[in-house]
Amino acid sequence: MKLERYELKAEPSLTVFEFVSEGPKGKITKLVQFGETNFKDLYNLAFGDKDLITGEIDDSVISNNDDSDKVLATVVATVYAFTDKHSDVWVYATGSTRSRTRLYRMGLTKYLTEILEEFDLFGQKKGEWEVFKKGVEYDAFLCQRKND
Amino acid sequence: MMHFFVKEKMIKFAYMKIKELNKSKLPIVRIDNSLEKYKNQILFKGKLEKANEMLRTVGLPKSKKHA
Repeated sequence: MKLERYELKAEPSLTVFEFVSEGPKGKITKLVQFGETNFKDLYNLAFGDKDLITGEIDDSVISNNDDSDKVLATVVATVYAFTDKHSDVWVYATGSTRSRTRLYRMGLTKYLTEILEEFDLFGQKKGEWEVFKKGVEYDAFLCQRKND
Repeated sequence: MMHFFVKEKMIKFAYMKIKELNKSKLPIVRIDNSLEKYKNQILFKGKLEKANEMLRTVGLPKSKKHA
């Protein structure tokens, strides 16, 4: 994926990442977390803006910093880094709204060939998982790094 | 003079390498220990709860890796 992306920082276990989005609205610090779910080796991918004054994280805010492709490419890069260190895990992701989930689906569709070189990718539709297909509306996504 | 060209070439090479690395799928990640304070915190509680609920009902797909 030859998209531009932001520089990443992370804590040593690579479960929490930070980067700074830059655009017309200024610099916005973003945090990405691979949160442990109730299921073994299954992590929930979530990201949002960090309020530098309160330290609170907001995953519903719409930053409108004119860099959504670059932000998404950076978040995807964290999935590569995370699954490189934790190779057997599943990563679950969904948007905080339907339109955001759609945006993620479009991003996945656009770079599907490259993604499938390294990941098994599934989409969740009507309460069931299926191998991710282009043009299908999904509620959530799951991926797992392929064996080398 | 020769020394200058070698040095310039080396800088160019290093610059190209950094550019390549930045564009590779595996990103360069700078370790920042100050982020460790978030490691054991649930930063996106609502989303995690929703994910747990969804996964409890739907389960996991069959993994080719573990098949």
